[in-house]
Amino acid sequence: MKFAHMADCHIGSWRDPQLRELSSEAFKTAIAQCIEEKVDFLLIAGDLFHTAIPGIEHIRSAVKELKRLKDAGIPVYIIAGSHDYSPSGKTMIDVLEEAGLVLNVVKGSIVDGKLHLKLFTDKKTGVKIAGMLGKRGTLEKQFYESLDKESLEKEKGFKIFLFHSAITELMPKELTSIGASELSYLPKGFDYYAGGHVHIVKEYTGKDYKNVIYPGPLFPDSFAELEKLGNGGFYIYDNGKLIRKEVLIKKTAALVIDAEHKSPEEVEEMIAAKIHDRQFTDTIVLLRIAGRLKTGKVSDINFRELFRKINAQGAFFILKNTHKLLAQEFEEIKIEEKSIAELEDALVREHLGQAKITGVDTDKEFLLAKKLIAAFETEKHEGEKVYEYEDRVRKAGDKILEL
Amino acid sequence: MVASGVVKGQIISGKFGEILARQKSDSAFELGEIVIAEDAEKKVFLQVYDIEYSSQVSQQNLELISGLALEEDAAMEFMDKNLRNYKLAFLKPLITVWKKDAKNSVLSKSLPEIFSTLRTVEREDLSFLTRPAHALCLGNLRSGSHTLNVPIYLDGPAVLTHHVLITGTTGKGKSVLMSNLLWDITGKSYASLLVLDPHDEYYGRNHAIGLKDHPSGKVAYYTARDVPTGARSLKINLATLRPQHFGCLDFSDAQEQAMNAFYKEYGAKWVESIILEKPVKVAFNDATINVLKRRLLYLLDLDFSANQLFCNGVFDITAGENTVKTICEELEKTSTVIIDTSNFSGQVELLIGSLIASELFARYRHYKRDGTIAQKPVASIVLEEAPRVLGKEVLEKGGNIFSSIAREGRKFNVGLVAITQLPSLIPREILANMNTKIILGTEMAGERQAIIDSASQDLSTDSRNIAALDKGECLISSNFSRFAIPIKVPFFETLAAQDIASAKSAASKEKRAFPGVQFTQE
Repeated sequence: MKFAHMADCHIGSWRDPQLRELSSEAFKTAIAQCIEEKVDFLLIAGDLFHTAIPGIEHIRSAVKELKRLKDAGIPVYIIAGSHDYSPSGKTMIDVLEEAGLVLNVVKGSIVDGKLHLKLFTDKKTGVKIAGMLGKRGTLEKQFYESLDKESLEKEKGFKIFLFHSAITELMPKELTSIGASELSYLPKGFDYYAGGHVHIVKEYTGKDYKNVIYPGPLFPDSFAELEKLGNGGFYIYDNGKLIRKEVLIKKTAALVIDAEHKSPEEVEEMIAAKIHDRQFTDTIVLLRIAGRLKTGKVSDINFRELFRKINAQGAFFILKNTHKLLAQEFEEIKIEEKSIAELEDALVREHLGQAKITGVDTDKEFLLAKKLIAAFETEKHEGEKVYEYEDRVRKAGDKILEL
Repeated sequence: MVASGVVKGQIISGKFGEILARQKSDSAFELGEIVIAEDAEKKVFLQVYDIEYSSQVSQQNLELISGLALEEDAAMEFMDKNLRNYKLAFLKPLITVWKKDAKNSVLSKSLPEIFSTLRTVEREDLSFLTRPAHALCLGNLRSGSHTLNVPIYLDGPAVLTHHVLITGTTGKGKSVLMSNLLWDITGKSYASLLVLDPHDEYYGRNHAIGLKDHPSGKVAYYTARDVPTGARSLKINLATLRPQHFGCLDFSDAQEQAMNAFYKEYGAKWVESIILEKPVKVAFNDATINVLKRRLLYLLDLDFSANQLFCNGVFDITAGENTVKTICEELEKTSTVIIDTSNFSGQVELLIGSLIASELFARYRHYKRDGTIAQKPVASIVLEEAPRVLGKEVLEKGGNIFSSIAREGRKFNVGLVAITQLPSLIPREILANMNTKIILGTEMAGERQAIIDSASQDLSTDSRNIAALDKGECLISSNFSRFAIPIKVPFFETLAAQDIASAKSAASKEKRAFPGVQFTQE
């Protein structure tokens, strides 16, 4: 038995059209590799598209590749991810399924209030496949809480579970701010857990969970990912052997400049030294500059000229990251880049004391503000009417303010 | 409101701390009972600490009367027997409440009038017992074996930062008391609890009621065996281990030096480097490295084959990079974190506990330095069988993170809740740092003495009372209460069931839908 597992293709991602095209190209390359490897079937663990309703040109290119798979007799088992999920059902995955190009395995029934997921059997291999969609804000956790795991666990045979969630126990250090679910939400005893959502490459086998795999994105969809991963990839499971296939679309070159206590001119010189005598043919150049300049402003650095030189050396695209590049003049910036929660706390603290309320000191005001923010962040429940939602949020606010 | 109460007796003599009272014939004093001597201005609360027989008839005559009854079957009746034979109670003053300011109480410094009537304490007498803003409920006030419907609250943050000792013989209710405390504190904004649970008794597996049912949902449960849905697999990445975390285990000096040398050279990969026998600049005896390697493989449940490391247990090279950090963050967000250590050896349990406690303490020290500690909840670490880490024998070999927290944790809002039936094994200076002691029935005189010697109030006359405490009855001696308070611990299931029922009724009104799932005919 041989199958391929990819996730987070994010076809249609990137704002820039040149880079956006690369997500389609990565998908095309990966599909070609699957056909060449003669896999029995393909698993796509969410986020095939970057949005639920992608642009027509991206649909066209994806359909073309899926058709090639169909023609090669390779079925595709898919789940929706946090990007291409739609509660209304108006998602391109449903259209692809109607056209017979993919099979969305998130199907089931409600038995005694529990979500009973169906296991699909691959005709050629007899492999049983089930899956759970991913939603934004880890909202799929509610689905897992109602999942009838027992019926899935007692099924015999080689079983695969597709999921599109971050798993708390497997999160790397740098991604702790992502909402995650516990591994124990997944049914135990499957032979392969095809993961998606978190753009990391990870293989894990534990006592009750064998082959929990995150293949990483098919093509990185941010500066940091390009810097870290360089390129995307997917997994092939070949009779128990796990092989990660790289999807090489473009080369990347990461240039890191420490601008601490440098003048704009010195920064320009450092960049010029880094690019001197280098060829960037068909390469995405990643320029990260961080530090506090000793003089001048960030805009004093002549990026236009530097970019002209890099382009002249054959670069496919230049991406610049100056989030942590500060000028002396901006010393009054009070908030450094932190997690959203920390940033929120810092902002609330900064504005404390503006509203004078008798009997409410700044500590109490802070707590009130935090409670109100939390109450107003509450999302509308599935099936809840708008007026019911508004009423619930209003009552929560009243309760906090003791009105 | 004027409290009535039932007359129990009358003060007849004695001295401060040893007041003697005659019992009224139709009533019965009990050890630990609280009674009130009242006059026009004040109420003096007194507690019975001993009871004895007394009679107007001489001892010789009493013995004769008994002999006649036993040997001659001659029933003798006393004239005015209720006047002639009676019981005497020994009482100590607890507190005085002035009637003009019933909310205020002071420690008694004078004796009530002789022949003052003693009456039962009633709910209305207790209006001076207030509920602090961050109340920690410990149970209901108890007078002897009679429980009053008066909940006893202490100031939660103060109690938890200044450490708590829970002591009592097996079967006297330590676990129920701890379950109640966990239930009460969970979900509150002022504190968080880290529970190292060697008996896996607090979460409530297998349909038992436990913290998993807490309506706040602010409970994180980590376990390494048969992980229930929603709980977390306890996985700790090897890269998060540091040589100092092994300080509470009995590694030799040479082994500790070797660990430090590998850490210095290989950083986060130091454990792997020892096992894979990588070179290190400092020369160590081969035997030292071999023993160290073998101990680490066994302790961390690792296997080594074909130059590759295999992880079988909690410690892992792939998973658990954030476990310790996440636990600390959860604690800072006022969650209760339970670590099931029931299937670990004592050494592994101590290593995990030490690892988490060190990180937590380091974070709180940092918050103290940067002035943000007031925004953090009190973090309290629950230690079962506390002498394992706070015992004299252990500490003679050197301090550990738990003894550091016991000594200076209160400055950083980190506290311990130490549970043991053998407090005498804990050094006196650490016992003295446990500023709240919850004392359950203790038969062993040596253990009682260790508690009495380090209590926040003078319990020198309470030894008999402590020995007589029945299941669920306890005495609380705390720096944060005016007197040692007798309480009755409620049944955990009863306490929790009420909260669970109301939460379930609210949840049943919520609609459940599964958009995105296509429903099929089975």
